[in-house]
Amino acid sequence: MGFLSRIFGRSGEDGLSVPPMDGVFKPNSRLDDATRILDLPGIDNLALAAGALHCSSADRLLRIDLQAGRANNLRRFGRPITAVAGSPRGRLAVAVEGIGVEIGGEGNGWRLLRLEQRYADCITAALFVDEETVALAVGSQAHAMSAWKRDLMSHGASGAVIRHRIPTGTTDILCDGLAFPYGLALDAGGNLLVSESWRHRIVEPQSRAVQLADLPAYPARLSPAGDGGYWLALFAPRRQLTEFVLRESDYRREMMATIPPEAWIGPDFSSGNDGSLPLQAGSVRQMGSMKPWAPSRSHGMVVRLDRTMAPLESYHSRADGRMHGIASVVEVDDVLYAASRGAGTLLRLDLAGEVPA
Amino acid sequence: MAGRNALIRFRYRYLSGRLVGEVLSKSWIDAAIPVVALLVTIGIMSFLIPGLLGAGHIADLARQLAEFGLIALALTIVIMSGGIDLSVGSMFALCVLAALVGMNVLGLPFPTALAITLAAGSACGLLNGVLIGYLRLRAFITTLVTLVIFRALYDIVFPRLASAIVGSTPDSAAWDYLGFGKVQGLPVSFVIFAVIAVAIHVTLSRLRPGWRLRAVGGARRSAYNAGINVKRTVCLAYVTSGLLTAIAAFLFSARLGSTGADTGIGLEIAVLTAVVLGGVSLGGGRGSVGGTIVGATLVLILTNGLIRLSTPGSVNQLLLGVILILAVLFDAKWVKNRGKILSKVYVSPAYLDLPEQARTKDDPFALNDRLRDVELIGLGAVEGPEDVVLDGQDNLYTGTRHGTIVRFLAPDYVRSEVFARIGGHPLGLAFAENGDLLTCVGGMGVYRVSPEGAVSCVTDETNRSWFSVIDDSRLRLPDDLDIAPDGRIFFSEATIRYEMADWILDALEGRGNGRLICHDPATGRTRTVLGGLIFPNGITICRDGQSLLFAETWACRVSRYWFDGPHKGRREVVLADLPGYPDNINRGANGTYWIALLGLRTPTFDLAMRKPAFRRRMARRIAADEWLFPNVNRGCVMRIAENGAVLDVLWDAAGENHPSITSTCEHKGYLYFGGVSNNRIGRIRLPDTDPAWTAQRDYWGRT
Repeated sequence: MGFLSRIFGRSGEDGLSVPPMDGVFKPNSRLDDATRILDLPGIDNLALAAGALHCSSADRLLRIDLQAGRANNLRRFGRPITAVAGSPRGRLAVAVEGIGVEIGGEGNGWRLLRLEQRYADCITAALFVDEETVALAVGSQAHAMSAWKRDLMSHGASGAVIRHRIPTGTTDILCDGLAFPYGLALDAGGNLLVSESWRHRIVEPQSRAVQLADLPAYPARLSPAGDGGYWLALFAPRRQLTEFVLRESDYRREMMATIPPEAWIGPDFSSGNDGSLPLQAGSVRQMGSMKPWAPSRSHGMVVRLDRTMAPLESYHSRADGRMHGIASVVEVDDVLYAASRGAGTLLRLDLAGEVPA
Repeated sequence: MAGRNALIRFRYRYLSGRLVGEVLSKSWIDAAIPVVALLVTIGIMSFLIPGLLGAGHIADLARQLAEFGLIALALTIVIMSGGIDLSVGSMFALCVLAALVGMNVLGLPFPTALAITLAAGSACGLLNGVLIGYLRLRAFITTLVTLVIFRALYDIVFPRLASAIVGSTPDSAAWDYLGFGKVQGLPVSFVIFAVIAVAIHVTLSRLRPGWRLRAVGGARRSAYNAGINVKRTVCLAYVTSGLLTAIAAFLFSARLGSTGADTGIGLEIAVLTAVVLGGVSLGGGRGSVGGTIVGATLVLILTNGLIRLSTPGSVNQLLLGVILILAVLFDAKWVKNRGKILSKVYVSPAYLDLPEQARTKDDPFALNDRLRDVELIGLGAVEGPEDVVLDGQDNLYTGTRHGTIVRFLAPDYVRSEVFARIGGHPLGLAFAENGDLLTCVGGMGVYRVSPEGAVSCVTDETNRSWFSVIDDSRLRLPDDLDIAPDGRIFFSEATIRYEMADWILDALEGRGNGRLICHDPATGRTRTVLGGLIFPNGITICRDGQSLLFAETWACRVSRYWFDGPHKGRREVVLADLPGYPDNINRGANGTYWIALLGLRTPTFDLAMRKPAFRRRMARRIAADEWLFPNVNRGCVMRIAENGAVLDVLWDAAGENHPSITSTCEHKGYLYFGGVSNNRIGRIRLPDTDPAWTAQRDYWGRT
């Protein structure tokens, strides 16, 4: 079968074509043109708790003071934070790699949720369904969040979406067998939606209904938009070469065994400036400039979706830009905050006055 | 594991499929397919019909081919002009009638009858030509109509003269000689056909009218824009078609001496089949006389063979029709997909295992930022300065991708002027002892520029190797050169398989596609010295005057080769398993050499180099812009001793000014660098070097 599909396979799972970035996804440089309000290396998950913007950066949880353009340290967790969620009343859920989920923000310190260890290493997103219930996206049960590339390259599909009742400490599995779920949102009817990164789509975990498929990039976290729709951050572009390597088992196995993950072929949060990183033909610097269309490892991309998950407009940072690896955005009062993990920068985009395309 | 790698290495050295791409890229491949089809048909037919290749049958075939082939050539010319002539069959009949009326009925002398026949053919062709060429009617419908008109004329005239034609025989020795005579055992008509075919071949492929015809057929609008008189060219194609048909008719009449009601009926289909089988594209612009003759022979052998197998005539027609459809289908797919197939199969990777260089604690290649304070020269004014060189007055010279050599004037290098216009991208540069500037020009050869700026070619070819499918006598990508004390010019040709614009694609192959060549001005001869080198690039003569250093870029090594003296012919690697890809090599002060690294090895690309099948599938299955490349966005320059010891390495950590460096050159205490895909030249002051050192003095002992 593998042999046959290698010869004849030109569609479905075997296809190497990547959906083009056109129509609503037509690239622009709006993320590079956005106001940079804060430099914070490793800034990742943004979350609103009681109206205040929080973010994670490596092992630190910070509260962002938007007026002063500063971030104040709330707590160091000692290990990398992989996801943050906030509730309307100010509760915070912080997922820490190798430890689990800590609940805090109520003034009486932090307490660890009792979760099975297999979920603890790779919680990619968290969401308060209500004040007492938290939904968690487990990217992979085989690899830790820091080894996400290895999960992608080993065709990982051990992700799950779980729901935890805080008062009772009970956990139920809503869905498993997902290929790296990386974002969670609630629709108007209270149903969960999850972005499944390695399959480039958004699904409803309980019914497994596909809401949006064939994305041209790897989706990361979802967040609600002011008009009842959603924001989706897509952290890295899909490339034909990556799709090709994913089908070249021999090469991929040897690459995973002998080369450090930073230097692998595949998506990343930033393109780096290291001479040992792989380079694709279109990315050769010509006459002192990088072409915006160059097949880079990383990019910045944020998409606004409507209530039915139809894309409305997109914000980009292309190969020649720097605001790459955006995995989390939050909308507050007609302003969109986007965290570029690749550049370590918090961006501010004013939505008022902008007419959706 | 080692055994498996050895197997892969063997497989991709000897059975890499490289020849498939090279054969496909040849222009004769269009004609090769009909020839194969012909041989297969002859094989099958001579198996089915014993005696098919007998002398008597061959002579008969030759006579038929003379007439049939002329009509096929007529149609070839029309189709190559972008049209079609369906009226050849009835035109043929009319001309036969004209010839027989002239000879048999009116009893005119031979030349007069010939003139009448040719005039009849030309008139028919002119009618088509004026309607299609000048009045812009559709070729298909016009010639369909004239087919009917000419046939109707024939049907009206022929019955009234039929008995008169049969009733008398002309008394003309020339007429009989034309019909039955032989020259050296060959039928006269065949000799005439051969002469005409050669003339048409020369015209179509070598002379201006032929080029114009093909240009009009290939792209009418472009031909018009290029100043070609399209209307006249099209019209003349039809007139020529009529003329050739008339000659065929005259030969036919001389051979048979009579005609029938069915003369020329169905001829257009047979001829069309022959022409399309011969590789003449119905789209126009493509085709050859040789192909048409092959196609005509094929059709004749097929129809004759079928007749001798006593197949009914209608079945013959049916078969011919089926063959025509298949040929048209093949032609359409071939023309459309040939380029695609070629681009998919041309890249032919080989096995290349580069051992990782051991990284020690005091790694000389540790990243530094010594090139941060580089002074920029010609930012934005110069594109693609692959090599830089300075003259005795400190002026700076470099080649650009616009095909010029630009001179930046000392002392501040702000003002620049075009020193010479060459036409190709000048790569390696070197000054000869007499002050001439010698340069390797991508796609052209080695050129000489006098101090006044006069350009002349030094050499653009070397000896052709016996077993190369690609014509490797022409220089495709001469890269860098240097001059020995006795004036001999040694230069590298990076690859014989890729053009200048695609030089990095050679990295995907990792095969020894390049060579080292020597030009001796004393004899004017150019000879390949070393072959099978993996992208030989920089080259510099050592100070002993008997050896040279050369870099093999994709093999990440620098070797020394002795071309003279007691060690003549010896070759040894002085620097192996570099962390990057070495480019140009130049002499530096204190007996050292400078080497530029144009890019860095990446673990993923090194791994791919050990997996040729992976690279081959990659080249076939994904778009060229997405291919994995060596990382040529990061380079550095290094200074080495003659024995290969690395003395110093300079990096541009940010990679903003000099991401890739292809050349470096020391001059009076400064170091200059160029990059083939950059738009600036850099210069930096060297702290610990001889501030008076120049290459001129080092080479020729003077300033």
